[in-house]
Amino acid sequence: MRNRSMIEFNNISKIFPGAKVLKEVSFDIKKGEVHALIGENGAGKSTLLNILHGMYTEYEGDIFLDGQKVNFKNPHNAIEFGIAKVHQEISLVPELTVGQNIVLGYEPRKGQFIDFDKLYNQSDKILKRLCCKFRSNDIVSTLSIGEMQMTAIAKALFHNARVISFDEPTASLSGSEVNTLFEIIRDLKNNGTTIIYVTHRLEEVFQIADRVTVLKDGKHITTNNVSNITREHLIKNMIGRDICAFAVRNRPRRFEDKVVLDVRNLSVTPYFKNVSFKLRRGEILGFFGLLGSKRTDVVRAIFGADKKNSGEIFINGKKKEIFSPEEGLKNGIGLIPEDRKTQGFVKNLTNADNIGLSCLKKFVYFGFLNHNEKKKNCEYFMEKLNLTPKDPMYFTEQLSGGNQQKVVLAKWLSSKVDIIIFDEPTKGIDVGTKQEIYRLLEDLAEEGKSIIMVSSELLEIIGMSDRIIIMNEGRIVKTLNYTEFSEEKILQFAMEGG
Amino acid sequence: MDGKKKKKNIKIIREFGIIVAILLIAIIFTLIDPLYVTPYNIISIIEQSTINGLMGIGITFAILAAGIDLSIGSTFAIIIVCVGKLLVSGINPILAIIIGIGLGFAVGIGNGLLICKMNIQPFVATLGTMSLYRGIAYILTGGWPVLNIPKNFRSMVDGDILYNIPVSIFILLLFAFLTHILLKYTRFGIYIYALGGNEEATRLSGVSVDRVKILAYGIVGIGAALAGIVMLARLGTGEPSAGQGYELNAIAAAAIGGASLAGGKGSIIGTFLGAILLSALKVGLIVVGVDTFWQYIATGIIIILAVYIEYVQSKLYSKSLTVRYQE
Repeated sequence: MRNRSMIEFNNISKIFPGAKVLKEVSFDIKKGEVHALIGENGAGKSTLLNILHGMYTEYEGDIFLDGQKVNFKNPHNAIEFGIAKVHQEISLVPELTVGQNIVLGYEPRKGQFIDFDKLYNQSDKILKRLCCKFRSNDIVSTLSIGEMQMTAIAKALFHNARVISFDEPTASLSGSEVNTLFEIIRDLKNNGTTIIYVTHRLEEVFQIADRVTVLKDGKHITTNNVSNITREHLIKNMIGRDICAFAVRNRPRRFEDKVVLDVRNLSVTPYFKNVSFKLRRGEILGFFGLLGSKRTDVVRAIFGADKKNSGEIFINGKKKEIFSPEEGLKNGIGLIPEDRKTQGFVKNLTNADNIGLSCLKKFVYFGFLNHNEKKKNCEYFMEKLNLTPKDPMYFTEQLSGGNQQKVVLAKWLSSKVDIIIFDEPTKGIDVGTKQEIYRLLEDLAEEGKSIIMVSSELLEIIGMSDRIIIMNEGRIVKTLNYTEFSEEKILQFAMEGG
Repeated sequence: MDGKKKKKNIKIIREFGIIVAILLIAIIFTLIDPLYVTPYNIISIIEQSTINGLMGIGITFAILAAGIDLSIGSTFAIIIVCVGKLLVSGINPILAIIIGIGLGFAVGIGNGLLICKMNIQPFVATLGTMSLYRGIAYILTGGWPVLNIPKNFRSMVDGDILYNIPVSIFILLLFAFLTHILLKYTRFGIYIYALGGNEEATRLSGVSVDRVKILAYGIVGIGAALAGIVMLARLGTGEPSAGQGYELNAIAAAAIGGASLAGGKGSIIGTFLGAILLSALKVGLIVVGVDTFWQYIATGIIIILAVYIEYVQSKLYSKSLTVRYQE
């Protein structure tokens, strides 16, 4: 019984307008196993899950569930067949209670009214099983992100599903929460539930999965037993080439002693406290930390995106009060935010407008904008950063993630800032463009710009940084020079706080 | 594929579409009653659209900035009452007009400050000031209308020049021209479109978002003030109860003109044509003698149709793009 297929994907293809994102994917998931699904951004993992869960109804190929061909019309339909998904925490309704979220759409009823006693009893039982400290009548918006993720898991458990899929469940969980999650997964597996586990943390594959499938560019690469595969082998399959090959500095490091940014005892309650560090001219300073270490909050406060509570910022030796991004810009600081879509660029503007947004002043004569000069500025940077397509009138929204990132970078370069903060510079960017971004980082440092790079990718931060600052729960725990870098050391400081 | 060209085409189609709709309305009404296309009647259609046009162009600025201003009808009343009282007291009409425009700007800035500095949602903030400003208008006159507005002011603002065209039409055209230039050829204009499309990204680009927004509401106030001044000249009396419900006509003109209430989308030309379309319909229904009640129904249908066509257009547009896939 144990080796029979629970789910069989047979030649699944999915075409979005203009792109084939799944190409004849075939593999099977056995009953009662934990099956990891890995691959880079854009590999097709989420698309495959969305097809399985009835979110996308148009695709080629067949899905067999327990030997029976299925074609779910909607997510509700999939749940009725016993296939549930643990969504990311953002899919909860923040104003409702935990219990209401767990049963949403399937509320127990007494006549025409909701049976709240039953609702909270059932929910509390599930929360207890998950060892959660919060209660089912807590309002979701009062929970921490980790607790919200646990609520999302509880929601999937509520349906007593035969198959449960997890899409990057640990991204926002703390160490102990991850352990609880793994225990629950093992527990579910022992009860015969089949688990699909999407992740890009390879360690987790080895900790929890029985078998692992690698997708790349919409194609099925391999499915292996975890016991007879190595980490290196997986990486090779995922990217088809060694990542270390390009996340490295090609030219000698030559940052100067001149301190351009001096941060002293910076605090933003309740996120981080007494953060102090120096940034030198021509330096790439890496910021590493696990989720919840508040790296992003630190750089946002330096730029003026968030208000600081205390602390001082010196730029080129002079004390500056930066309380808005406008002030940050005036003092020569630029921020390339983590989330391009919501913070990086404006969707209804063209490349020329997006790139010119921070420096429109330059193109104004007697109060009127010279659109031609704005366009020329855009063309110059499109050439310099190798943006494709090279059309200033193209809408930034229509570009690929990597090219959008270049637009945001070009915005700051045309404002002539000296300190550039990159928050996850290569997130959601294809491999080829990643490589270009690394070369750009190096060029900028060589030109004398100073760079702060916040990143969750260990290899990237080790390869590119001159120094690495490691944060843990709102504190700087360690600063390493590039001669001292090692994966183990950095992870240890990041996880244990040194 | 050239994104901007495509989008431009769509926009031209949009504005072209409104013109076609206006012509269609004109043809239908002319067939029913040839009186409709007489020069006199055409001037009357444009004249009828001045109030909606001025207020609609104003409110387009709030809508572009992803906001709204419900208080323009009350602002309109304040201006009517104040300018009326000043005129009756014997002040120079030009000075009175300037004070009126300044006052409208100040009242609009008041809305902007509430929205930006007290962080109140535009809908709620201006719902509050809608009542507040109306109260001020009543208190200023004790509820009575301002009577005996001087003739020289009335002919200056609404008298006929050139082929019997009233001055107020030129006020509308001038305001439309200036605001169009402001949106297309100044930093402020790009900032409004930017913050309407993505306020956080605009703020993080170092743009002083609050200043831009407050100024946008100031311009909304100027639109209402100009409309009030025209109305005062046209009627010769200043009613503190004037302008109730006008904010909805203004929003309708902007929406028909392609402005999206989600922000970042819309144009002065569109709103201007939207206002013309509304009055072409209204005048037509009066000319052919349709009951007032049916005029409401026709207006409602036009608004819904216009916005639906907009939706279909933008859907066709996004389908025509090579959709970039991102997991």
